[in-house]
Amino acid sequence: MEKFVQLTLSGIANGAIFALVALGFVLIYKSSDVINFAQGELLLIGAYLTYTTVEMIGLWWPLGVIVAVLLAAIIGVLIEQLVLRPLIGEPVISVIMVTIGLSSLLRAIIGGIWGVTPRTAPQFLPRDTITLFGASVGVDRLWAFALALTLFVLLTLFFRYSREGIAVRAVADDQQAALSMGISVKKVWAVAWAIAAITASVGGILLMSIFGGVSGQIARVGLLVFPVVILGGLDSVPGAIVGGLIIGLLQSFAGGYLPPELGMGEVVPFIILLLILLIRPYGLFGQRIIERV
Amino acid sequence: MQSGTFHTSYASDMAMRPFWIQRLRIALVLIALLAFPWFADRYWLNLANTIAIAAIGAIGLNILVGYTGQISIGHGGFLAVGAYTAGLMAVRLDMPMWITIPVASCFTALVGAFFGLPSVRLKGLYLAIATLAAQEIIIWLLTHGKLLGIGESLSLPRAANNLFGLPLSALGNNDFAFYWITVGFLILTVIFVSNLFRSRTGRAFVAIRDQDIAAQVIGVDLFRYKLLAFAASSFFAGLAGALTAHYRGIISWERFTIDTSILFLAMIIIGGLGSVSGSIYGAAFMTLLPALLSNLARAISGLVPDINTYLPYIQQGAFGLAIILFLIFEPEGIVKMWRNVKDYFRLWPFSY
Amino acid sequence: MRNERRRFTLLALTLALALLLAACGGQPQPPATGGGTGGGAPSGGPPIKIGAIFDLTGATADVGTPYSKGQIAFIDWKNANGGVAGRQLQLISQDYAYEVPRAEELYTQFVTQDGVVVFSGWGTGDTEALKGKISEDKIPFISASYSASLANPAETPYNFLVAPTYSDQMIIAMKWALDDWKAKGKSGLPKFAYLINDSPFGRSPLADGTAFAQANGIETPLEVPSPRGATDLTPQLTQIRDYGANYVFLQNVSSPAALAIKNAKSLRLDVQFVCMNWCANELLIKLAGADAEGVVGAVPFSPEGEGARVALNFAKEKGIDYGGADSTFVQGWTAMSILVAGIERTLKDGKELTGENIKNTLETMGPIDTGGVTPPVVFSTTDHAGAKALRMFRVENGKWVAITDFISAR
Repeated sequence: MEKFVQLTLSGIANGAIFALVALGFVLIYKSSDVINFAQGELLLIGAYLTYTTVEMIGLWWPLGVIVAVLLAAIIGVLIEQLVLRPLIGEPVISVIMVTIGLSSLLRAIIGGIWGVTPRTAPQFLPRDTITLFGASVGVDRLWAFALALTLFVLLTLFFRYSREGIAVRAVADDQQAALSMGISVKKVWAVAWAIAAITASVGGILLMSIFGGVSGQIARVGLLVFPVVILGGLDSVPGAIVGGLIIGLLQSFAGGYLPPELGMGEVVPFIILLLILLIRPYGLFGQRIIERV
Repeated sequence: MQSGTFHTSYASDMAMRPFWIQRLRIALVLIALLAFPWFADRYWLNLANTIAIAAIGAIGLNILVGYTGQISIGHGGFLAVGAYTAGLMAVRLDMPMWITIPVASCFTALVGAFFGLPSVRLKGLYLAIATLAAQEIIIWLLTHGKLLGIGESLSLPRAANNLFGLPLSALGNNDFAFYWITVGFLILTVIFVSNLFRSRTGRAFVAIRDQDIAAQVIGVDLFRYKLLAFAASSFFAGLAGALTAHYRGIISWERFTIDTSILFLAMIIIGGLGSVSGSIYGAAFMTLLPALLSNLARAISGLVPDINTYLPYIQQGAFGLAIILFLIFEPEGIVKMWRNVKDYFRLWPFSY
Repeated sequence: MRNERRRFTLLALTLALALLLAACGGQPQPPATGGGTGGGAPSGGPPIKIGAIFDLTGATADVGTPYSKGQIAFIDWKNANGGVAGRQLQLISQDYAYEVPRAEELYTQFVTQDGVVVFSGWGTGDTEALKGKISEDKIPFISASYSASLANPAETPYNFLVAPTYSDQMIIAMKWALDDWKAKGKSGLPKFAYLINDSPFGRSPLADGTAFAQANGIETPLEVPSPRGATDLTPQLTQIRDYGANYVFLQNVSSPAALAIKNAKSLRLDVQFVCMNWCANELLIKLAGADAEGVVGAVPFSPEGEGARVALNFAKEKGIDYGGADSTFVQGWTAMSILVAGIERTLKDGKELTGENIKNTLETMGPIDTGGVTPPVVFSTTDHAGAKALRMFRVENGKWVAITDFISAR
């Protein structure tokens, strides 16, 4: 029983991080139909910028984090303006490839600036362990979960009550109608990329504290985004959250209960992905796309 | 300057290359291909073979992505299936390459058709993600290959490299001998695929790409043709994989990861979607790019001494930058650039 | 319209020109080494060419980079100290980002166009891919892949292992664990578990390790792969906890190993972690922080020998930044020094500098001294596993400290 609780807690804590990474992805897709293969690299940028502001420049850590996140948001907007804007109207394959090319380019730039040796993460999350429902869990994971939850609540409020948020939803729903209502679609895209960069940065910072250092390892989480968003629905924010939690839990239980030699933990999310695509491609909460000829 | 085309027989109307200048170009290319290996050293032969094999794989991917519009990020996995099938046949069953290569290609076509089943229900991005999952699953099977008896790598016996009993080594060193095989297969592939798209099946593929619902309305069986597209594409992937296995002599899973799939996608996008010659240009470009950069860096290392610390990042970044620049400035690829050059001469002094 | 076409024609011509440059550039050029002193004028003869490929931007770049710096530094140091028989060493190297096809291309280029006589590889992928070619081309080869299949000259006559194989490392670590168990006064036998990288590299030592354990009466160790890219290894650790393992052997690279160690602390799991050589380095301490205290590691290239001091001092003198990874820097340095020792001896014996002669020299020259970094490295015509012993280290106060002398696997 204790093992079950332990696995559930770990699964939820991990799932929260996946959800955070997936959230930015969903936002970009929702507002501009772009699949961002460079999401992992956005995580990295957030982590490296925080490392720079806190360790290299020596700012007090909350200030450093805020500066880093803002910088990441600016970079997100720049990417949108320089790389995605010229590709409006191009077929899906081109857009996918350009974000793939972007991820490669960003990796190279990050490596060129900071080098590939992992840097020690600034420790601003408490590192001790507490016991919850009879299972041990690191306090830093609880913080990660709490932060992720706060971000979700903030974003939900943003989308529901703020002007920009409603504009994003309008553009996601029907670009033409939004344009005719006077909503600046270009501004909405910039906002979407900025928010995606912010959520990715926060995710990157959390991963940095979990891994103990900032290194390319963080970007590998980017691949796991796909099972999460497909499960939850590519254009659904609550879907990203639920999807993240489910994938986190599934990975946890697979790793903990199946015979370890099989090494299923790695491939289980992708098998789930295939099954969902075959049975219910729009995921749990995604919208059915009705194609009109 | 051309002023119209005047065919006087069905044969000349249906010809693949009706104009004398096109035939001249083809003849020149063939002469260059035949002469090349006698003048080139091992390094260049190695590169040529790599490009030829990559071109075969790229043409295969182009059938699926460029002509039929089905996005696939699983090409690396199909290459792996071809390579390991050929490899296991050579190692376990002592089959020579003139048996393993066709069998591996056909088997990979079947596997491709199987993984193409989701395409019947999914489109665009969803299909891309399904193929991504297929790629990861195939790699997982290879790294957990205890069932198949695959260890760290699979070594093919040299004895398997023979054509109907005649050992390849009789032709010269490995790179030289294989040049004839790889380029030979490439020429066959080009002829086959070019004709494929003048046939009914090819037209069905293109119809699916352009507007699949309309295609269905006029009677194109989507299920059959989509699976056929996957099968055809995977056949060539299997061919490329099997050739790699025999040429390199040793294969391991690291050659067939998602980065390989992405590399092939980059080849066809940069080369030109929906074009056979584009696939070849793309394969050549992506293979030569790292070599070009490192040789360039060597040449200017006297002037810019620090270039070598940054060279690895420049090479990595060049890959991404090349994709981005081509997509922004010339989305139709190198083949369009070549067409522009040809048009300039053909239509001079007019501009269109 | 016309301007657009002109622009693209220009682009096409530039492309053609660039490809032409590649053709010209294919000729042998001055060496491409990073940093270090420029070689002095060759006095005793033409430079001796050594080929090498490094992972500086790929999956294993975090250890590939300090390794490469160690190799380059050794060459520079050797050249500054008179070279080899008065001839300068010329290192021709490139990054291959752990892409096997690129490794093959570079190998072919360095061998056919640059005429290197020996080669230094890096990872399992490229070492496996090249092992046939180097035999054909007769190029002695060392790398950082210590797989047992490379030690048999009957199969791979030109591969030389400069560290104990992964299997031997595991056996030595298990030997230590048994001694440690007894030293702690525990009765009975301990239980072992493996926490490995989910790949053939991770599984490499398991068969031999399990055989050794069973021969000593220990239960078959539990094999737990850690999925690549995992952010949490708690599920895997719960399996280890349920099994009741006392010693967990980590055949993995530093990042997942550090994660496992930190997760274990959170889980309050009481086990002794024993790292194999790819996580027994400074990187692990960097990533795991305070949780790394008490972790034991099998370190084939001891940063505490005299040879290591020479290397590290040279690095300090020249201001080489290898990110604090002392042991990996020393690893690269020492590996290259062994290769060069073979070259030096070949020339001293008056033999022509060919790959075959260097190979024969390495096999017959007897023990090569590395200044206490490794046991004396000795190859023979029947065995290319040059080192069969290593020292066990433990993390104490944030540094790796030797806790044993050289323990042998046999």
